[in-house]
Amino acid sequence: MTAIGGGSGIVNDPAFADDATVEVADVSVWFGPKVALSELSCSFGPGVTGLLGPNGAGKTTLMRAMTGLVGVNQGTVRIEGRDPRRDRQVHGRMALVPEDEAVPAGLTARQLVRYTADLFGVTDPEAPDKALHSVAMLDVADRRVDGFSKGMRQRTKVAAALVTDPQVLVLDEPLNGADPVQRLHLIDLFKQLGASGRTVIVSSHVLNEVERMAERVIVLMHGRLAAAGGRHAIRDAMDDRPRHVLVRSDDGRRLAAALIALQSVAGVTFDSSRDGLVIQTVQARELAIALPRLARDASIRLLEVRALDDSLESLFRELVR
Amino acid sequence: MTDQLQLTSPRRRSRFAAIVIYTLQSCIPPKRWFALLLPCVGALLFGLLALAVDNHFPTAERAFANVAAEGIFALVMPIAALVIGDAVLGAEVRAGTFHFTWLSPTPTWQIVLGRWLAGSFVALVTIAPASALAAVIAGAGSSAGAAFLAAAVGSMSYVALFIAIGCITRRTAVWSLAIVFLVERLLGAALTGIAQLSPTWESRAIFLGYLDDPPARLIRSGIPQGGAAVVRLLIVTVVALVVANWRMARLRLSGAAD
Repeated sequence: MTAIGGGSGIVNDPAFADDATVEVADVSVWFGPKVALSELSCSFGPGVTGLLGPNGAGKTTLMRAMTGLVGVNQGTVRIEGRDPRRDRQVHGRMALVPEDEAVPAGLTARQLVRYTADLFGVTDPEAPDKALHSVAMLDVADRRVDGFSKGMRQRTKVAAALVTDPQVLVLDEPLNGADPVQRLHLIDLFKQLGASGRTVIVSSHVLNEVERMAERVIVLMHGRLAAAGGRHAIRDAMDDRPRHVLVRSDDGRRLAAALIALQSVAGVTFDSSRDGLVIQTVQARELAIALPRLARDASIRLLEVRALDDSLESLFRELVR
Repeated sequence: MTDQLQLTSPRRRSRFAAIVIYTLQSCIPPKRWFALLLPCVGALLFGLLALAVDNHFPTAERAFANVAAEGIFALVMPIAALVIGDAVLGAEVRAGTFHFTWLSPTPTWQIVLGRWLAGSFVALVTIAPASALAAVIAGAGSSAGAAFLAAAVGSMSYVALFIAIGCITRRTAVWSLAIVFLVERLLGAALTGIAQLSPTWESRAIFLGYLDDPPARLIRSGIPQGGAAVVRLLIVTVVALVVANWRMARLRLSGAAD
């Protein structure tokens, strides 16, 4: 695990939060031969924590284990000190917004949110409408949820979660399908909830999304903890990893000679299959600034500049290394 | 993001009432009602069949008893109950929407009981009256009450059984069909011990027990008849609900995609 900056939780490990409300200790979960989580230990406290990882990293399984939907094969999960699989009362303190698009058939948004409110014993009769209003769904509250778009379904599920006024809110890819305006609105909402002292855990496979709302980030890879720390530390670690950049120009030989002189360049090779230079760099931002300047000064025409390994998967792989 | 806050303030419902209403609203969509219509029509057709063959029997009641024992209580009633029992739990678990209910502080017994009551209500307004109507169609109006009671108690027991199966496996329909047709019909026909716990055999025994002149060949020794069969099925129902409650607390809800 790469422990990166920030956090001063127990044993000063950034994977553990101060005042933890959700504790995951040595948790393993497997489905038949497939290991979804492997000896994972971390904790979450008040504020927004981002759970980052590529598809299949184990984010959804971790969230389901945290809420008790899935039992763990090994280790323990505690919500405010209680086991969510054994103590159903703890469900009254938390809410989950799953990634699944599945919604109950035949119900309107208002009926679904009201049903949740009834199950949680919410006494304020106006709470369902207030929750729908908070996610801007009051206008369509009497429309059937199974006819909604993905983004609208997600917002309805967020409303169903908020109506219970949870102390721990677990959101699995809540921004999926939301348009840019809705995204901003939801991000603000989650930040407000975190600022009000609730534990908000948001998963995503998009770093930019997570760092806009979470101060603290936990990165999963192949069911293991890959990194944990402040969002800036995670961003820096990702930016500073070695990257390969393909550059095609009208004079590769001269460009290669000039590139070698740059401090941000660790190596240059000629790739005949791509008909261009492959630059290895650990300072991608500096290279992005220096390369056009260098080309202009040397009167070299750049035909193509493309990162070869800029997928999130490669970023995560680099962190795990 | 422009909606204005105009609040409606409906009266708060109890958890139990919310579960029953939700089950009726969401778990039994129009498609399920249509699927339920088929066994109900089947029951009516068996009534017509009894009418068509009643000249082979001393009375219309006897003709209907023979047809109902083999057709209604052994075939269409279990199928109708399967459609209902799968809808109120198994289908929701498979669809990945059951967490809306499970992930709440509601006690599991309220969830199980609420779902069973809603399912039982659906059975009471579909297959039970269809069975009684079949008796009327067959010209055996005096058997209608017995047919209604037997179908009602039998299907309520089946719904409890299928809810329990839904808590144990995701393949509710397959396992339920296997239990009805392999365990109950095949093994139950040979082994009285199984028949004594079988909603099919016991509902048939309820029906026959309340007839004035039941055909002797249909009465099976070793199986309680009439009111005693009702009590037997109530015990089966309670045991199934207890098992469902025990398993529900241990459900592993891994989502629709898994």
